[in-house]
Amino acid sequence: MPRPDPRGRAGAPELLFLLLLPLLLLAAVPSEAADTVTVDVGAVYASNEGTSIDPALGMIRGKLHSMFNYTSYRMLDRKRRSLSVGETGEFELPDRRSMRATPLPARGDKVRLSIRISEGSRNLLTTTLGLRRGGMVLVGGPPHQAGVLILIISAE
Amino acid sequence: MDCGTAVGKILAKADGLLPRQEEAELAGHLAGCPACAAEDAAITGTGPALRALTGIRAMEKAPALDAMWTRVRAGIEEKRETRRRPLWAARWVWIPAVMTIALLALLFYPSRTDRSPFHPSSFDVAVEDVESDTATVALVDKGEDLPTVIWIIEDAKT
Repeated sequence: MPRPDPRGRAGAPELLFLLLLPLLLLAAVPSEAADTVTVDVGAVYASNEGTSIDPALGMIRGKLHSMFNYTSYRMLDRKRRSLSVGETGEFELPDRRSMRATPLPARGDKVRLSIRISEGSRNLLTTTLGLRRGGMVLVGGPPHQAGVLILIISAE
Repeated sequence: MDCGTAVGKILAKADGLLPRQEEAELAGHLAGCPACAAEDAAITGTGPALRALTGIRAMEKAPALDAMWTRVRAGIEEKRETRRRPLWAARWVWIPAVMTIALLALLFYPSRTDRSPFHPSSFDVAVEDVESDTATVALVDKGEDLPTVIWIIEDAKT
């Protein structure tokens, strides 16, 4: 009579581990996420050329429309970086501009970000923002083509 | 042609390696040399005799080979059947794997995909400080349901 291959049969501990693996992952991910801030920067070209609004802008489309007088909003680029507190991430922007974001120590569900936007050696903006996780702020104004750039900065 | 050369050519002919022209020369020599002709006959006859012997041996061994092949085939079939019948654990192991993948997709889709549209949970922003070396900066806060805007005015262009 052929004997079963002991290597091919998963025992109860292995099965239990496999079943609990998703829960273990669930428990592990938030603790890692709490130490890092995901900074999401979208560069939007706002102009009066046409009347199209990029669907990639999601629910922010209506907000942009009600806040500004531009008729067209097009997402040019979107970048996302996970940064530890104190770590600086650089985001390239159109027209040789760049943005540097550094998460600062914060409590609870708050995120503090030090933001610096520059154009070559020129410092366009230096600011420190306090947001809730998942919050958003807009930075606009730098000219681009026939309109302006609006940066959508959010942090999770 | 001397007899030594002729024997070499007889062997080459038996192996099928003798060119046609040399074969004609060899035939001329064999016609006039009974000793070489006898050698040629002996060597030429060896091949068919060996083939016949091998055939007889193969016929003798055929039943044993058939039996062995049947056993090999049965062994292969048995292995295949074992592979077709997955173990109980192997049958269900995909469920936690799929659950894990689904959970990871759910967890990371909104934060790791650049294509997800913007869905901010809050517009509550505190601007602790704001300054610019080269531009005028305006802070626009139109209320909680609208995002705070920091507007950079360069050379009164915008």
